[in-house]
Amino acid sequence: MSRPLAYCGFHHRAQIAVPATGVNAQPVQLISSGGLGVLWSEVEWPFVPDQMQRNALEFHEVVRHVFNQAAVIPFRLLSVFDDRQALEAFVAENEGRFLCDLERLKSFVQMECVVYPAPRPAQGQEQTGSSSGKAYLEKKAVAMRSSEGFAQAVRDAVAHLGHEVRVREGKNGTRIFVLVERGRESDFRQAVSVLPLPEHLSRRISGPWPAAEFLSDQVKAPQISGEKTAGQKIAGAK
Amino acid sequence: MGRGRPILLSLMPNDFQSVEVLGGEEEVSLLEILDHVLNYGVVIHGTLVISLAGVDLVYLGLNVVLASVETALNSLQSDPQMQMKELKK
Repeated sequence: MSRPLAYCGFHHRAQIAVPATGVNAQPVQLISSGGLGVLWSEVEWPFVPDQMQRNALEFHEVVRHVFNQAAVIPFRLLSVFDDRQALEAFVAENEGRFLCDLERLKSFVQMECVVYPAPRPAQGQEQTGSSSGKAYLEKKAVAMRSSEGFAQAVRDAVAHLGHEVRVREGKNGTRIFVLVERGRESDFRQAVSVLPLPEHLSRRISGPWPAAEFLSDQVKAPQISGEKTAGQKIAGAK
Repeated sequence: MGRGRPILLSLMPNDFQSVEVLGGEEEVSLLEILDHVLNYGVVIHGTLVISLAGVDLVYLGLNVVLASVETALNSLQSDPQMQMKELKK
């Protein structure tokens, strides 16, 4: 069965070029409501597992195409609606919130730096005693403090170009999100890449990405009114 | 589609070879892209309520995989060869 798959929302203007095709080479279509444009395609659902990687890249390409021209609010890949009417109702209901966030974020992109523990040395190279539980916990605590310290260093280093900084601790490291003015991505990379990195930590810098981390909560996780009615619910994989 | 068919298993070795220490370059790796398209952006609340036996299983399954993706991202940059062997198992 086919379902509408939403890619992203953006401030709809005539000069923004929209890609012709998206996931599974399906035509990319536009729903416009009060200045908000939302791109979507009718796709076969559920996705074929073996094609998920390709689907993800095709999805990304559609979002990136628009993001290269303007701020976007990306949907997650699995945002599939029951039918076009459900998507249209969603767009109409959330148009104001989306446009508000797009206006706030229109000049910015999201840059990221992930700090994570450097891989342990291969077996046989570890120092004696380092494999005990106590040593492990101590090492982990040190790494966590180092990550926090580095996150603060990043905050300081990008203060002159970072409009906003958010830090998330994850199981595998610390992820630092920075809202940077579009066009100053290389300044961010330069500022972060020269920061001295604590021992036992590695870093990964990426971006620019759509400013998804900085969306308002209502946009990031919108409530759907009447979600159990046929016209509003999100499609299931049956 | 369920937990038994995670995205990671569909990645080919060549994809992992594109994941390298970037040193500030603008290259974006495949795994970063997968992480972002699945993990960042608008997520619809209604899914959990409505599709308990369908989409939710898929979605939760993917989120479980995403933890592995993040781990892979971190590890691959330091030792791509070793991690590739593990992921191919």
